[in-house]
Amino acid sequence: MSWEKEGKEGSLLKWYDIMEAEKYEYTVGPAGERFFQGLKENKIIGSKCKKCGKVYLPPRIYCEDCFTKIEEYVELKLDDAYLDSFTTIYQDDDGQKLAEPVHIGLLRFKGVNGGLFCYLEGTPKKGGRIRVSNFNYPLRISIE
Amino acid sequence: MKVNIHLNKRVAVIGAGMTQFRRRILETPQEIAWEASSKALEEAGLELKDIECVVIGSAPDAFDGVNLKGEYLSHGSGGIRKPSSRVFVGGATGVMAAITGWYHVASGMCNTVLVVAEEKMSPARPHPQSVFRYIWDPILEKPLNPNLIWIFAMEMHRYMATYGIKKEEIALVSVKNKRNAANNPYAQLGGNITVDDVLNSEVLVWPVQLLDISPVSDGGAAMIMASEDVARRYSDTPIWVDGVGWTLDNTEWPARDLAYARYLEFAARMAYKMAGIENPYKELDVIEPYDPFDYKELHHIEGLRIAQRGEAPKLLKEGVFDIDGDIPSSPSGGLLGVGNPIAAAGLMKVISIYWQLKGTAGKMQVKKPVHTGLAQAWGDLMQASTVIIMRN
Repeated sequence: MSWEKEGKEGSLLKWYDIMEAEKYEYTVGPAGERFFQGLKENKIIGSKCKKCGKVYLPPRIYCEDCFTKIEEYVELKLDDAYLDSFTTIYQDDDGQKLAEPVHIGLLRFKGVNGGLFCYLEGTPKKGGRIRVSNFNYPLRISIE
Repeated sequence: MKVNIHLNKRVAVIGAGMTQFRRRILETPQEIAWEASSKALEEAGLELKDIECVVIGSAPDAFDGVNLKGEYLSHGSGGIRKPSSRVFVGGATGVMAAITGWYHVASGMCNTVLVVAEEKMSPARPHPQSVFRYIWDPILEKPLNPNLIWIFAMEMHRYMATYGIKKEEIALVSVKNKRNAANNPYAQLGGNITVDDVLNSEVLVWPVQLLDISPVSDGGAAMIMASEDVARRYSDTPIWVDGVGWTLDNTEWPARDLAYARYLEFAARMAYKMAGIENPYKELDVIEPYDPFDYKELHHIEGLRIAQRGEAPKLLKEGVFDIDGDIPSSPSGGLLGVGNPIAAAGLMKVISIYWQLKGTAGKMQVKKPVHTGLAQAWGDLMQASTVIIMRN
């Protein structure tokens, strides 16, 4: 049984339970598959709408504005990458202090819709060239 | 048209689209919603910029495993930078989404609505049934660890015992719907089976056997609803929504009569009154009652007052509900044949009626001429019911 009689707490009996399915199996989708295959070859792949020319990162199979199907995938140039914003985390979800602070950066590309959250290595700063040090997801980036 | 409420505008359906229903669709939920929506726009001859409001229907978030699924689905549903809303009343959601689209237009708030329903039932492990574990009263019912199949087994048993109905008679629904689904290009589980196949299938929770239940499925469905002037401009064959009804009955399982779908009678009376229907048996030409289990179709035919209590199995045996019968029921193949991605399955029923009335149902088209159709869905804590009546 997943429940337990906890006994009296004050004057009330309570039941304890955890509300979750055991697990989920999520699909990345056809565009997601191209994206993750690309990462294996150290490439960042976006998808491009034929009608309006918008490039989406991460890629998807439709344009949210034109509502047309997207079939063209493009490799994004790392020269166009820039750091949109960053933050530094000192505590985990439970409020425990981390041994080492963690930097998170929002990686974007010039002229591209969307972006990726990445681990940011080294000392965060505005400007500078982005270097991707690890293409395993989530990406690790640093600034030169 | 007799109405019991004030209507600002008459509402028509002018386009619809669906994805295939199947288990473990490769596309993400957003991509499924987009595929159905873009097909619906194409059939209506509209573009996304012509749509003023978006209504998203999806049953509880837990199926896809994403919290706040309305927001999650919004860009795939074309809802960005538009008034978008999400409705969810469990299994009744698919038809409730259509009803919500209807009142967006009927109220005069907007002229064009895109109604999208999406559900992905296959991600949850070990089985989507596990998601249903937490719909029960946490104090009184949850300690028994109910699952939906055994709850429905009790309802089915009560239905059989009250009216002296045999399993053989109920199995005919599964036989009919899976046969009809063989004509449906979107269906997951069409085919020719026999009553013996149903009776010999694996017993899950007596009296429910494997072929008494609809399959786990992923899918999307979408529909364009428009005000009369827009509908006349874009369509030669608009299909009018003439009646809607929805209700919640008592949410306590043990407090309800399990042999009769009273929750549906309330919703049906509301819709019949609005559509001016006095004798549903005579005035309805084609119906899509909600059939996640085979006995539920019979249960719902009685709740719709098309048959007397306990009489639906007799009419079924006489062929009244066959595709060439007096009142073809689930000519699409229903949930038993098409699959059961919950919200999408409900909207699929509305779309099936729309295509029947439009005369574009292809191999699913019923034999007789049809002018009035009804679609229905049911769910939530098994007490929510939604009904929609359409005419050509």
